[in-house]
Amino acid sequence: MTDWGWVGLAFAVVYGTLIGYVAVLVRRTARLSRNREGR
Amino acid sequence: MIRPLEIAAGLMLATALVLGLVVPPDAVQGDLQRIMYVHVPSAWLAYLSFAATLVAGVAYLKTRRMRWDHIAGASAEVGVLFTGLALVTGSIWGKPVWGVWWTWDARLVLTAVMFFVYLGYLALRRSFDDPETRARRAAVYGIVAVAQIPLVHFSVVWWRGLHQPPTLLRPGDPQIDGPLLAALLAAVFAFTVVYAALVSRRAEIARLEDLLAAPSADETVAGSGVSAPPIVRDTR
Repeated sequence: MTDWGWVGLAFAVVYGTLIGYVAVLVRRTARLSRNREGR
Repeated sequence: MIRPLEIAAGLMLATALVLGLVVPPDAVQGDLQRIMYVHVPSAWLAYLSFAATLVAGVAYLKTRRMRWDHIAGASAEVGVLFTGLALVTGSIWGKPVWGVWWTWDARLVLTAVMFFVYLGYLALRRSFDDPETRARRAAVYGIVAVAQIPLVHFSVVWWRGLHQPPTLLRPGDPQIDGPLLAALLAAVFAFTVVYAALVSRRAEIARLEDLLAAPSADETVAGSGVSAPPIVRDTR
């Protein structure tokens, strides 16, 4: 792999993980807020 | 709903990404050095997260406010995430530079140990149904576990290994050229704002989970057949 390939892999891992984690947190917040309003 | 702090964090992260890709390459490592713009901030956040878990744990023990426990748990979870990212990005850098994905270097081993110890912290938190028992025991665990931060940080000074000594958090001037230092500091700052946004969001989720887990006034009265006061916990 080229140097830029390694750099791209590292950045993709970090930024991809963060985007995925934020998406999970936003969905959980929305679901819990709905459940709370439903009680 | 996306919050203003999260939007700011996203914009700063995008700026850090661009800077990390456009600054000149390192004189020795070439473009591979750019991996440091995600590896170093991730490692920094591991330190910050677990130190914040300690502070929030102590604050909980002093005040008994659940808000502090939520922050401690949120910070530990985000810290585990970034410790994992520091290990993975270090491994991705190590393969082309050192020729191996992993080596039994003191810094690497102690960082991996710290990762698993805080995974244990998260497992401990999930093993108690009662929020107050969970908060108390997790706070004590967080106080003991934080001893690993100086061990990890100074491991490159105390033991000879492959991992280079500290670049920023060291006595004297940073040993890095101006534009590269600017890009690194921008990345560290952006990641720190991301940390604040993630902990805020995760602590809010913990608060909502505790609220939903607590029996409501109707359930308390209907279950006992007698009029009883609702269970109200201080979730601030």
